[in-house]
Amino acid sequence: MQEFMIFIKTKGDHLEGLSPEEQQAHVQKIGQYIGGLMESKKLKGAQPLDMDGAIIHGNKGTFKDGPFNESKEVIVGYFHILAENLDEAIAIAKANPMFHDAEGTIEVRPIKQMEGIN
Amino acid sequence: MFTAEKNISDQIDHLFRHEYGKLVSVLTKTFGTPHIQLAEDVVQEAMLEALNQWNYNGVPENPVGWIYKVAKYKAVNVLNREKYKRQYASDVAQQLQSEWTLKPALDYIFTDKEVADDQLRMIFTCCHPSISSDSQVALTLKTLCGFSIPEIAKAFLTHEENINKRLVRARKTIKEANISFEVPIGKALEKRLSSVLETVYLLFNEGYDATSGNHPIRYELCEEAVRLAEIIASNPNTKSTNIYALLALMSLNMSRFKSRVDEFDNVLDLEHQDRSLWDRALIKKGLYYLEMATQQNEVSIYHILATISAQHCTAVDYQSTDWASILELYDMLVQIDKSPIVLLNRAVVLSKTTHPKEALEQLNKIGDSQSFRTYLPYYTTRAELHFQNKEPQKAIDLLNEALKLPLDVNHKDLINSKLRDYSGDN
Repeated sequence: MQEFMIFIKTKGDHLEGLSPEEQQAHVQKIGQYIGGLMESKKLKGAQPLDMDGAIIHGNKGTFKDGPFNESKEVIVGYFHILAENLDEAIAIAKANPMFHDAEGTIEVRPIKQMEGIN
Repeated sequence: MFTAEKNISDQIDHLFRHEYGKLVSVLTKTFGTPHIQLAEDVVQEAMLEALNQWNYNGVPENPVGWIYKVAKYKAVNVLNREKYKRQYASDVAQQLQSEWTLKPALDYIFTDKEVADDQLRMIFTCCHPSISSDSQVALTLKTLCGFSIPEIAKAFLTHEENINKRLVRARKTIKEANISFEVPIGKALEKRLSSVLETVYLLFNEGYDATSGNHPIRYELCEEAVRLAEIIASNPNTKSTNIYALLALMSLNMSRFKSRVDEFDNVLDLEHQDRSLWDRALIKKGLYYLEMATQQNEVSIYHILATISAQHCTAVDYQSTDWASILELYDMLVQIDKSPIVLLNRAVVLSKTTHPKEALEQLNKIGDSQSFRTYLPYYTTRAELHFQNKEPQKAIDLLNEALKLPLDVNHKDLINSKLRDYSGDN
């Protein structure tokens, strides 16, 4: 088993186009998806992020505060999961109903494992 | 207290005892084992809230569901309120603090399978070998069986303060020894499981000890021991022929519970028990478990003791007891366990197949050890054998000697009534 981070990225509020009923159904589907991951012991954690914050650019000790621009694609949450390999992690990411009704990007990244110290 | 109020409080005490144990188990996983006390407090608060509400509005249609709901939101509140003060080790705690995962996590940790698994984990946590055995039993009764401190004190015939000390020590050990909330796997499981079974059997015997009388709470201790054993037996990783043997032993012994004491609280031995009082359903259950226990070639102490108990339970009357088979079983038992009680019981059986005199000779050979001299049954058993051998004076002398041991009131009464028997005046 390997650990993966799945970053969810959207541009603005990805549920904007949905009716309140559709939004509720959407939330329920995601609940079931997360429950399923728990049951199969694949979920370590998952959290949404607030739509504000800061972008800081650092270069050799000097920092430039950039504007936090939510009209660009930003990370809105993450899933921390366990999977056999990248293929399984991708399958898990695609099964997430979050973008079955809306548009967005999912970034699946294996957490680097320490090989031991020399 | 008003009758209605008392009824509701009784309902909470009894109907929810096991729900209490389930909730404490689930919340101990959530908060982590160092926070057992917190888990208990949260459940206790939920129960109190139920009591208050129900006194006012009446008992709802689904009281168990109601308590679960209150306990759930209290647990989430505790996690959120103390988020910055405490570190909760479990993934579950993290998941209960996040918007996406809160609801699925709540649903998940309260599924029947998870609740059953958590109770099993709780058994292994409470019965961890680094906790002293009397503290293990007290903590198990408190957290898994939902007994109050006064109830545990009553069951152990001791002060509440004593029980509280044991509980404090147990929780402290769990914290300091960093005991995790899990069922061990592989080689470690076998060893831990056998010590868990010992604690369950100890709990059972606390309830079964006839000299403490037939108070309902003692029967409940036996029932709790059986319930815990059944949790262990229903998990594929922990079930074994040993646990079935222990279940057989406990069920068979329990079938005789009501007949062991007469209306004046005098302890009756097998010969004088009214066999029509024996619980047929429990005997049947015991024999079923015994069959399950003998499906492999393993033989534990529990197997032998259960088979002995089955011999007694299935004998139509005392006279038709199959003493020869029972003696064989004791011979096997002595190979594994040479404790005083086993040797004494074997001698009694020997007196049935041969003669009391032979049994006494056997006992004289082994009776020199110090552990025997302070052991009450060593005196009472020999006294009985001498009496049967028509040597009442020797029997009386032995009992008078036994009265010098530090004994509680029940045991003293027992000896005095035997003394009257042996002197021929009633």
